[in-house]
Amino acid sequence: MREYNIVITGVGGQGILTAANLLGWAALRAGYKVRVGEVHGMSQRFGSVIAYVRFGEDVYGAMVPEGKTDVILSFEPVEALRYINYLKKGGLVFTNARPIPPVQVSMGLATYPSLEEMRKIIEEDFEGKFMAFDAEELALKAGNIVTTNVVLIGALTQTPGFPLSAEHVREVIKVSVPPKTIDVNMKAFDLGVKAAKEMLGL
Amino acid sequence: MAKVTDIVLWDKPGERVLLLGNHAIARGALEGNIAVFAAYPGTPSSELTDTMAAVAKKAGVYMEYSTNEKVAFETALAAAWSGLRAMTAMKHVGLNVAMDSFMTASYMGVDGGLIVMVADDPSMWSSQNEQDTRAIAKNAGIPVLEPSSVQEAKDMVKYAFEVSEKYGQMVILRTTTRSSHMRGDVVLGELPEEIRKAKRKFGNFKKNPERYVDIPAFQRKKHPWLLETVEKFREEFSENPFNWIEGDENAKVGIIAPGLSYAYVKEALAWLGVENVKLLKLGTPYPVPYGLLEKFFDGLERVLVVEELEPVVEEQVKVWAYDKGLRIPIHGKDIVPRVFEMTTKRAVEAVAKFLGMETPIDFEEIDKKYEKVSKIVPPRPPSLCPACPHRNTFYAIRRAATPRAIFPSDIGCYTLGVLPPLKTVDTTIAMGGSIGMAHGLDVALNGVPGEEERKTGKEKKIIVATIGDSTFFHTGLPALANAIYNRSNVVIVVLDNLVTAMTGDQPNPGTGDTPHGPGKRILIEEVAKAMGADFVKVVDPYDIKATEKAIKEALAVEGVSVVVSRQPCALYRIGQMRRAGEKWPIYHVIEDKCTGCKICINAYGCPAIYWDAEAKKAKIDPTMCWGCGGCAQVCPFGAFEPMEEGE
Repeated sequence: MREYNIVITGVGGQGILTAANLLGWAALRAGYKVRVGEVHGMSQRFGSVIAYVRFGEDVYGAMVPEGKTDVILSFEPVEALRYINYLKKGGLVFTNARPIPPVQVSMGLATYPSLEEMRKIIEEDFEGKFMAFDAEELALKAGNIVTTNVVLIGALTQTPGFPLSAEHVREVIKVSVPPKTIDVNMKAFDLGVKAAKEMLGL
Repeated sequence: MAKVTDIVLWDKPGERVLLLGNHAIARGALEGNIAVFAAYPGTPSSELTDTMAAVAKKAGVYMEYSTNEKVAFETALAAAWSGLRAMTAMKHVGLNVAMDSFMTASYMGVDGGLIVMVADDPSMWSSQNEQDTRAIAKNAGIPVLEPSSVQEAKDMVKYAFEVSEKYGQMVILRTTTRSSHMRGDVVLGELPEEIRKAKRKFGNFKKNPERYVDIPAFQRKKHPWLLETVEKFREEFSENPFNWIEGDENAKVGIIAPGLSYAYVKEALAWLGVENVKLLKLGTPYPVPYGLLEKFFDGLERVLVVEELEPVVEEQVKVWAYDKGLRIPIHGKDIVPRVFEMTTKRAVEAVAKFLGMETPIDFEEIDKKYEKVSKIVPPRPPSLCPACPHRNTFYAIRRAATPRAIFPSDIGCYTLGVLPPLKTVDTTIAMGGSIGMAHGLDVALNGVPGEEERKTGKEKKIIVATIGDSTFFHTGLPALANAIYNRSNVVIVVLDNLVTAMTGDQPNPGTGDTPHGPGKRILIEEVAKAMGADFVKVVDPYDIKATEKAIKEALAVEGVSVVVSRQPCALYRIGQMRRAGEKWPIYHVIEDKCTGCKICINAYGCPAIYWDAEAKKAKIDPTMCWGCGGCAQVCPFGAFEPMEEGE
């Protein structure tokens, strides 16, 4: 496989870099050449965050170019839309459905678009598939809201054409998380897999 | 996925791991048998520094968080002059702080290998400018290594130590935000026995005043040596593992790609499906090896240099070509943008233009479609955290000192105080700049202290500067001495959150911790008193009224007032509490009491508070509240209360 490109978006503090790192290790353990692109520092403070995970034989740079992303995995709906120019035609967007309104919205200086508005733009203008689901609720169901990233990763593994098997990714997460949290993380992963299967009609 | 600090210490040569660029450099330093590491943290270099701090004891390496980059450079230089391998790391603007010593040290050379790791920030992801370290290195005559992958970032360190010792000159390892903050697959090398056994290394300083004293008579003899050494490196770099020629050797067109630009050019060529190109991959942007240029240019009719920021390589290549009498077109900044970072898209566009091709996808079409999106996506700039003590201090300052006040500020998380609703930052320029700026504004606007014409009463402008604890020690100290000495009338609020927060919670003299155990803690208020400040007070910003009162008291004083607003960084504190399994109070809004006045949103602006447009009430996101209780102090109607257990 030449390259597979994932973009992870959300709000600083949501666990985006951890998710990127987990996926990077899963790809590495599957024998691929890996690049993960991150931004650290000030933008992590509740600002908009984007990370890139790329693997395959032909990856060199850390960033996915615009129009070349296979899947956007988003922790927050409008953050998926903010980086939609990265999605390739026919690409997939998995997003946690719960919005975090920016301070500017609360102050009345900006408005927050509805999920339907987002879906329309993503599906009609960018020819992508938009799947929003309450990953946080599933994480709470698994036992801890911080496993939202693992729910999303679980969903990601069900993407048609995703080069890593769900079992492999699950195993890498299992050996990576603190031993005390294995159960809740495995539950979160499985709930993400199940949700994606339902959404994709698998 | 093991812990990074474990991986960096792994005695597993040949193991394939995923490391951040900065982590890989730390591993490289250990593989290169480093003895001393000193740095002041600065994004995007900080993870290197923190990793060295975490492994120092276990590897027998001395590591310190120095008070600024100049001190760090001198600490490392002294080690190198004593024959030890040493390294310092800094962000690009940190080199400006170290510059005084750096420029002169270049005449003197080193005995032990010395690496100055400088992390540039094209696109200014977390910086105030995008200066190009390669251009500074050229001015200093110091060779530069620049990786194109995480593997190279690691491997270059050991090589850099070796060539630094071979020619007795320090070497710059230049990264960018992307190479420092890129994770990539890395194959680990061998760790030397001293590192594995944590054996402390001791240096040997041989007195040699003609070399180590920089009086003019001595320095005049050394400048020619510096220039000769550049040429030796130029020759050395013609045959090194980080420079090579690849692609079609019979091609008529060639591309030169230094550093990480090589990665983007490789992708661009693959995406465009171009094969009949010769490619010069350069890991040494300065000095460009002429021997390699000789081979590369053979048979070429047109050349493109793809590099980020300044045309450092392009100009060297053009000078060489001119002197050779070569008159073929050499393109660079006429095609490749000079501002902001390189991307695959930019590389594709540049290469396509150079070769007269179409781009593989229509980027303009994407941009056009995106116009609609950019109109409806609300901005989400970074903000001060929930429970951030700085927010409370800024809020108190605004209440105590507006509307006539001017607010010089400094470099740290608190620079975010520039954003609405706090807007308590009017100027920032560089580390420690707030106090110099405050003093200068006082003189410019209020006149000379002691003179009759000096403005008084309502005519006088109020100046309240803010500066963080670590920044205070970094470069605030000389500015404070200056303000006190010159009889300034300003209030300086030190935002003391007991950690160097923005770069990732490093210790500093105000905390007293060091990677080797307890250091000696320095109290900011004691420093201010000893320097002769006219008013010194310590307050807790979680008590907003008391903070406001202290600032009012400070404003009433003729002279320099220092208010130390002390409360641990909330992000740091919550992290520690989480790990310890401790709980904190979570506030909520009593709906009946909330009148919808929006003071909490429009004047205070905690990110945990949002506006429920339907109910026309403020609400708190319980997952984001870190329990400082500031909202309860700000609300005139008592609508914020901590939740009861189980609510």
